[in-house]
Amino acid sequence: MLEILRNMIKEEWRIHSSLFGSFMFALFPVLLAVIAFVGALSLPFVEIAIPINQMLSIFQYLFILFGLSIGSFGLFGREIMNRRFGHASLLAYSSRSLPVSEKKIFVNFIVKDIIYYFILWIAPFVLGFAIASPFLSISFIYSLSFLLILTLSFLMGLSVAFFLSTVYVHSIKLLIGFLGLLTIASFISVYYSNVNISNLLSVLSFYYLPSFNQVALSFFIIIAPIAFSLFFLKVDYPQKTRIFKNSLDKFSGWFKFSKYSIFVSKDFLDFNRSEGGLGKIIFSFFLPLSFVWLLISVFMRLMPLLNPFVIFSIFLGILSSSFYNWFTEFDLFTSYAFLPVKISTVMKSKVNSYIIINLIPLFVLILASLWTNQIENFMPSLFVFLSVSAYTLSITTYLAGLNPNILLYNAKIFLEYLLLISPILLILIFLSVVPYYLILSIVLIPISYQILKKSYEKWDSIEQPYF
Amino acid sequence: MKNAIEMKNLTKNFGELRAVNNLSFSIKEGELFGLLGPNGSGKTTTVKLLTGQIKPTKGNATILGMNVLKNPIKVRELVGIIPEQETPPSFLTSEEYLHFVGKIRNLDKIEEKSNSWLEFLEFEDQKNVLCKDLSRGTRQKLMFAQAFLHEPKIAFIDEPLINLDPIIQRKVKDYLQEFVKNGGTIFFSTHVLEIAEEICTRIGIIDKGTLIYEGSIKDLKKKRQHLEDLFLKLVREA
Repeated sequence: MLEILRNMIKEEWRIHSSLFGSFMFALFPVLLAVIAFVGALSLPFVEIAIPINQMLSIFQYLFILFGLSIGSFGLFGREIMNRRFGHASLLAYSSRSLPVSEKKIFVNFIVKDIIYYFILWIAPFVLGFAIASPFLSISFIYSLSFLLILTLSFLMGLSVAFFLSTVYVHSIKLLIGFLGLLTIASFISVYYSNVNISNLLSVLSFYYLPSFNQVALSFFIIIAPIAFSLFFLKVDYPQKTRIFKNSLDKFSGWFKFSKYSIFVSKDFLDFNRSEGGLGKIIFSFFLPLSFVWLLISVFMRLMPLLNPFVIFSIFLGILSSSFYNWFTEFDLFTSYAFLPVKISTVMKSKVNSYIIINLIPLFVLILASLWTNQIENFMPSLFVFLSVSAYTLSITTYLAGLNPNILLYNAKIFLEYLLLISPILLILIFLSVVPYYLILSIVLIPISYQILKKSYEKWDSIEQPYF
Repeated sequence: MKNAIEMKNLTKNFGELRAVNNLSFSIKEGELFGLLGPNGSGKTTTVKLLTGQIKPTKGNATILGMNVLKNPIKVRELVGIIPEQETPPSFLTSEEYLHFVGKIRNLDKIEEKSNSWLEFLEFEDQKNVLCKDLSRGTRQKLMFAQAFLHEPKIAFIDEPLINLDPIIQRKVKDYLQEFVKNGGTIFFSTHVLEIAEEICTRIGIIDKGTLIYEGSIKDLKKKRQHLEDLFLKLVREA
């Protein structure tokens, strides 16, 4: 039993270190601790805008989401692993080839996830907070409570992911039905009853009311879904052969204004046909965007000189770059390496796709300007959105080429990314005191163009890394 | 006959490891050349070097007189390549993938060409299936079709028969032999000795990146020497 666990942890470490290098990956928890330390030092300022209880809730939900994503990736991520590592055969999928029961493998898998991500994420994050606590005159006991809240939140997300994956394996319809019921129940609870579902899920309620019932409820919420998953464990995933009529030629006709219409068509087909479809846009773009909007509205109380809509347009530009990451997620250069195609050609085509999909954030910007009655500030906001979007894209392509989803997790590259983007953001936020000054951001467009040109040269001149 | 492929001191290091060591030999037009070797001997790296997918540490190669190092894209326009691992994009269907490759190669009559390959390799019924959902054998057929879609003069094929059923294997072998009879050149990398012995006109054996044997199948037959015995002897001695 312990042998499997030890090897699973080793395997997880090697997957990550093969992507980023052992040293760089080992730096990741250090970086996380530093970020938490700096974040904690800024608490006295942030607390004026967001009460500490709300902040704790935000962290709690973030770690529930983190647990959900780790659990889902571990169980549904075989396709992604296969794309990156060839036909990946992880220990988690080995119950058919080894004389070990599926239940045993699954228990080891859960324990591995808990230990690995506790050491790598939760502990460093809380450590950063704990180191900062003497400077803030906060008792050390708060760090322990923080550790407990984040661990329970992560476990809750993890157990829900395992539960949902078990339902999914048995029937996709059942999963959809279950999620539908949950949505309706949440809706009713919010609008028609006094029961608040978020309170039921909240491990914070244990923190506020440390009664036996709260402890029991928190653990029940974590253990029950895992027990259910174990009892109804099934490893065969419902796989359906998906059939489509030729749409490439049709798409290519739509995008014929682009020199790279065939590649752009492929990008949009990938986007459309891959798992998640529209859900991906919601999670990777609209969800963080709503979060940014919320944060801006709160922080603006601290800085009344700044215009929330204008600041939102700056961050809209940054978040748009997540679309480039999606376009590069679905194919590796190995699919093109044997064709007469340069790396820069594929990069240019992704930039074309990116320009087209930026119509979505542009539409969001128009809606936001109407909603907030900020039509008079629309022009400077449009300029700054386009400039920041172009600049962020150019920095991403320069540093990470066709592999932003891998290389931006490299601590060194991520730091370079932050250093190249943050000062520009600060200048733009400073300029936004007089929104029309933001028209000056247009200088970022030719700069971005030059950086893009340099990135094409850079990635053409080096051998494409194989992950 | 002119040289179709020439390499001089071709060397590739990956860090400390020398994957290909000073390869210097040539292949004439109309030859079906088999590069044989044990796993990890440098066969795939040689194909990647010859088609400009990776850059050599030392040395150079020419394909139909064209310098690979200087013109990797032009070389890949001329040749067809079946990579070691069948990696068509996941979310295109077989038919869409052939159209995709056809458009990248600026071909005309793409639909006609694509359909004739789907028919020849007997997978028309899979043309609307996403590449990610295809069986390995069908994916291999697809990669074969994309490599020959533009009727290249030279094809580099890396283990192209492994996942194919015996009926399609026969068809593919016949096609390759017909291809070289009509003046085409095949650079065939494999470790399946029986196939090499059956279809190749000349072979080279590579081990630990170094070419340890080069000769024609006819000579072997004259000497009544079996390829398997020769291969085992040379690799064990190396």
